[in-house]
Amino acid sequence: MNIGFLVLFSLLGVLLAIALGRGQDFGPAVRRFAEQFAMLVPRMLCALVAAGFIAQLIPKQAIAQMLGDDAGLLAIPVAAFTGLLVPAGPVIAFAIAAVFAKSGASTAALVTFLTSWSIFAAHRILLYELPLLGPSFLRLRVTSALIVPFAAGLLAFLVGLYTAYGVVVMQR
Amino acid sequence: MQSFAFLKDREWRLGLLSSAFGKSFWGFFAAATALGLVCWAVKGPDVVAQAFADDLNLLVGLLPRVLVALSIASLIWVLLPRERMSALVGKESGVRGLVIAAAAGTVTPGGPSSAYSLLAVMGISGADRGALIAYIVAWATLGMQRILVWDVPFMGVEFAILRFVVSLPLPVLAGLIARRLPLDLHIRSTLQAPERRP
Repeated sequence: MNIGFLVLFSLLGVLLAIALGRGQDFGPAVRRFAEQFAMLVPRMLCALVAAGFIAQLIPKQAIAQMLGDDAGLLAIPVAAFTGLLVPAGPVIAFAIAAVFAKSGASTAALVTFLTSWSIFAAHRILLYELPLLGPSFLRLRVTSALIVPFAAGLLAFLVGLYTAYGVVVMQR
Repeated sequence: MQSFAFLKDREWRLGLLSSAFGKSFWGFFAAATALGLVCWAVKGPDVVAQAFADDLNLLVGLLPRVLVALSIASLIWVLLPRERMSALVGKESGVRGLVIAAAAGTVTPGGPSSAYSLLAVMGISGADRGALIAYIVAWATLGMQRILVWDVPFMGVEFAILRFVVSLPLPVLAGLIARRLPLDLHIRSTLQAPERRP
């Protein structure tokens, strides 16, 4: 039990209360639940296993070396590309980010990495975006959001020139 | 219970089975197997076992969330006044519509299953493409739940605030870009059709 799950659970409670209050017919809701469940869960199990293997295969230490403060702005494209490669949920992505932070990655690089991962995570595209919205939406979204990780990293870099606010402190 | 009649519909059940274990499932399955073999070859059996153990842990934490998130998404799907929502973020909504969509993305709780379900509902009900993009980019970069549950504990409060602040203008920017891109957009609506007569 953590905060996220509690938030979800209370939201479900509120929605159920609203539905009951309205005398809502639950048939369509159950039907949609079953359809979505069938579409998502079996694929999710496979994607989860695949993501676990990829997380083991990514050369975390080697990449971390390229993300340090010495790399300057060059760290941003490297971080953006690495973010693309993490096809897994937050558990793995943040674990990798923590490894990067420990090996001295710059704040701008960490911001870029996490933003790039959050926008382009391949598992989400395969599991949710393609089945629910289709390839034309994916194309539009990827093209529109392409600059977002770079812009976030660049802004973080500029902030870093003025203040050390936001620098991740890790015990090495 | 007339509205549950679909449960006895043989065709519906077969359709469910084929959407669960269709081509793309086997694609995922093959990818997982191939990656497992690569992992075995490169890193050895211990790492494969470790990966499986991690997966199992993850799954135990994940499945209840998925169930709750899917229930939420299904309830929203039947409860939401879809016409009113598309008016709020419709084609003529300007930058204001993008800001509303980005704010909605920021506060949408739950993982991708609820965000993407809501996005699909918005898309089918005719929301403007800029608003769709602003919504999902905001959910991905600014999502409150992810920041509280993941950024803060893993990276610290200061980093979380910094990342949030620098990302603040970006979803609206992406929405503006989306409005100007000459790309066609056809949202899928097959599974979303609320009533499918046999």
